Amino acid sequence: MTLLEARGLRKTFGGIVAVEEATFEVDRNEIVGVIGPNGAGKSTTFKLLTGFHRPDEGTVEFDGEDVTDLTPDERAQRGMVRTFQIAQELTGMQVMENMLLATQNHPGEKVLAAAANTGSVRGSEAEARDRAEELLKFLELWDLREEYAGNLSGGQRKLLELGRALMAEPDLLLLDEPMAGVNPDLTDRLLERIMELRDERDMTFLVVEHDIEAIMRISDTVIGMHDGKVLSKGTPEEVQSDERMLEAYLGGDV
Amino acid sequence: MVLDPQLIWNGLVVGSIIAVSALGLTLIFGILNFINIAYGDYMAAGAYVAWAVNAQVGLPLGVAIVAGILTMSVGAVVLDKLVFQHFRSRSPITLLIVSIGLAFIIRNFIRAIWGPSGHFYDLPMEANPSFLGVRFSVEQVAIMVTSIVLLLGVYALLRRTRIGIAMRAASDDRMLSRIRGVDTEKLVLYVWLIGGAIAGLGGIMLGLDAQLRPNMGFTALIPIFAAVILGGIGDPKGAVAGGYTIGVIQEASVAIIPSEYKFGVGLLALIVGLLTRPDGLFGEATR
Amino acid sequence: MALVDLLLVVGIIAGVYSLLAIGMNMHWGDTGLLNFAHAAFFAVGAYTSAILTTPPATGDLATRVVGFDFPILVGLLAGTALAGLVGVLIAITSVRLEGDYLAMVTLSSAELIRLMIHNEAWLTTGAQTLKNIPRPLSGMVSSGGTIPVSYDVFYFVLVWAIVGVCYLLFTRLSHSPFGRVLHAIRENDDVPLALGKNVTTFKLKSFGIGAAVAGLAGGLWAHYVYAISSIMFLPSITFLIWAAVIIGGAGSYAGAVLGASVIVFLRQITRFIPGDVPFGDQLAYIRLMLVGAVLILVLYYRPEGLLGDAERLQAGTSE
Repeated sequence: MTLLEARGLRKTFGGIVAVEEATFEVDRNEIVGVIGPNGAGKSTTFKLLTGFHRPDEGTVEFDGEDVTDLTPDERAQRGMVRTFQIAQELTGMQVMENMLLATQNHPGEKVLAAAANTGSVRGSEAEARDRAEELLKFLELWDLREEYAGNLSGGQRKLLELGRALMAEPDLLLLDEPMAGVNPDLTDRLLERIMELRDERDMTFLVVEHDIEAIMRISDTVIGMHDGKVLSKGTPEEVQSDERMLEAYLGGDV
Repeated sequence: MVLDPQLIWNGLVVGSIIAVSALGLTLIFGILNFINIAYGDYMAAGAYVAWAVNAQVGLPLGVAIVAGILTMSVGAVVLDKLVFQHFRSRSPITLLIVSIGLAFIIRNFIRAIWGPSGHFYDLPMEANPSFLGVRFSVEQVAIMVTSIVLLLGVYALLRRTRIGIAMRAASDDRMLSRIRGVDTEKLVLYVWLIGGAIAGLGGIMLGLDAQLRPNMGFTALIPIFAAVILGGIGDPKGAVAGGYTIGVIQEASVAIIPSEYKFGVGLLALIVGLLTRPDGLFGEATR
Repeated sequence: MALVDLLLVVGIIAGVYSLLAIGMNMHWGDTGLLNFAHAAFFAVGAYTSAILTTPPATGDLATRVVGFDFPILVGLLAGTALAGLVGVLIAITSVRLEGDYLAMVTLSSAELIRLMIHNEAWLTTGAQTLKNIPRPLSGMVSSGGTIPVSYDVFYFVLVWAIVGVCYLLFTRLSHSPFGRVLHAIRENDDVPLALGKNVTTFKLKSFGIGAAVAGLAGGLWAHYVYAISSIMFLPSITFLIWAAVIIGGAGSYAGAVLGASVIVFLRQITRFIPGDVPFGDQLAYIRLMLVGAVLILVLYYRPEGLLGDAERLQAGTSE
């Protein structure tokens, strides 16, 4: 069953065509990996899907709804949550606060309720804390919960980035180069977590990555991009042996 | 809108002042990457020094103008060494707030020394001649001529001299120019010398056209900043184009809105410019 | 005793400034918004309350035409509300802009508002003073009246009670989930957006609330000094409040109150110095220069201010 559908996406900047034509689908409960050499348009496509760029042409449909004109926060509210490549942890806030921020529909975010500190506000807060605790323990960050996020190591920030996105209870989690700058040990752990979440919590993932090995390991479907176009779609084995993808990578893209 | 040639002329004169001042501000921003709120007060200081030399000491206006320009040129460097240099590694917002503190100090220094009321330069009173139905004064012509000379001079500097080219390169990409071995501290020195001088000149022209008040620079900062933004922050051509545009619109607007709200035009231009063309008139703004 | 009287007056001014600083702290300390229009909110609150509670003077020299006779409470509430509204309106044009642009737009908007106050004499008495603003409970408070204290004592308690309430309210907001979103916006615009928060709406709310409390300060000020003019609402007020918030410690409401009190004390300190002093005429300006210098020094040596959180500021920077 299709959860996300991109149709005919196109985006130019000035005179440069970043994404010429992107059409693909993401089914429920699968992990989709997006690969391609530098300049393939992966990053731009990612931003088009999540609402951080507006497409010149084309549509994005999520869970049957056309979200092409929706802002990023509106998409997140519907269950499409993204992470950031350069882990944008909120440096001046503690780990726990980072997590709690991601709570959806918190009554305490309304001024009057917050000022009155109603029972419903306190209740939601307690609930959120419990969920955050569970996730932090899952990611082995519980001991750092009162540390300022800015003081975490690179790998810990990546984990926090993931944890925060999970707090938002997404149906579709879009990961932007989650393995960038991560050591092999942590990469393994992250990959396992992602597969666990797909299996045990019915989550769907779209992962843009440079680390081809990682993508091949966890993806159910792989999308290969080059020069702003989707070149190849299929199982990891199919895309890996697709001559066009090999050419794209070896073709000397700088 | 009644395109009254008198208003257009006034607009070109005011536009010259704004264009010149905006040029200085945008050059400083291009290299140093923060908005210097104290710039308006550099202008005021230049105007007041010139006034002191002219009206208080009694020297001819030409000498006074040179004095004002030189003082602010050197003064800008001194203030950088005393204040801004210590904050080089900080965020642009910190620098903005520091510049506010500095603006405070300069403005009140001026008030302390010269008092809060207005002054005029010691100029011979002459009847203003007319040409083609447009009344103009010697000061206005002087402002126009000086501005054009200055603008051409800075243009030549930026295009033809080594230091000018280095400034443009650094303005485009500070990291890159550091790698290429451009001496950043020397560039900074030059940009303050030139920017400070321009500020001083702008302030003097402002004083010639209108009046000297301690907050003259601050009030003028609004249209100047609007010009910088409209032209694309960091873009010298844009700042000049923006300056003349705002000057003409501002003065021409007097035909339809009360003249006290002239500055509102600058504000409106600023808001419109920021909301519609965040990259400036020439689309070259680097941020 | 003259000293006590002086201290009360200074204390009242400090209270008014504290309210201004509390509002500014929500903008800058909590949300990271560079608001340079604060003096305008102060002015809107003051003039709204004054116009609504002071009938126009009669006579040939009277310039103001608009005036009402509403109770002071109505004036204060209206002033607060209108200031908040003006805050939201200014914010609508500019919250999507980057920091320093926001600064210039708010600064310019404030100047425009001050120009309007200065020029529209039919409404505000223009460049002249709007006089005879009623003082709350002035009939009842006096040595022989129902509340047997001096008026300044009464007003001091009134202002600081309001400061106390606002302090509690704003601190609670800051620690609430609402405040959490504001803090996130302060750190990074994209993250709260990606997590489903409508960043623009939160910024507008922050702007409005901070502006409203500045309007309240304006109303309280107007009814104390019972005569106001546009010269009291120059941008230097905005800068002084900025200095107060930064010196006191951005992000801390206690810091805002402390910083405001320090600034007011610095400015008023010369009232306590007796006799003739050299540079007596320039003292007012020297005091302001001092504020500017202190601001720069604090930013250099102790950027977190007196009561701010140094750890928070330094987290994530490679030292």
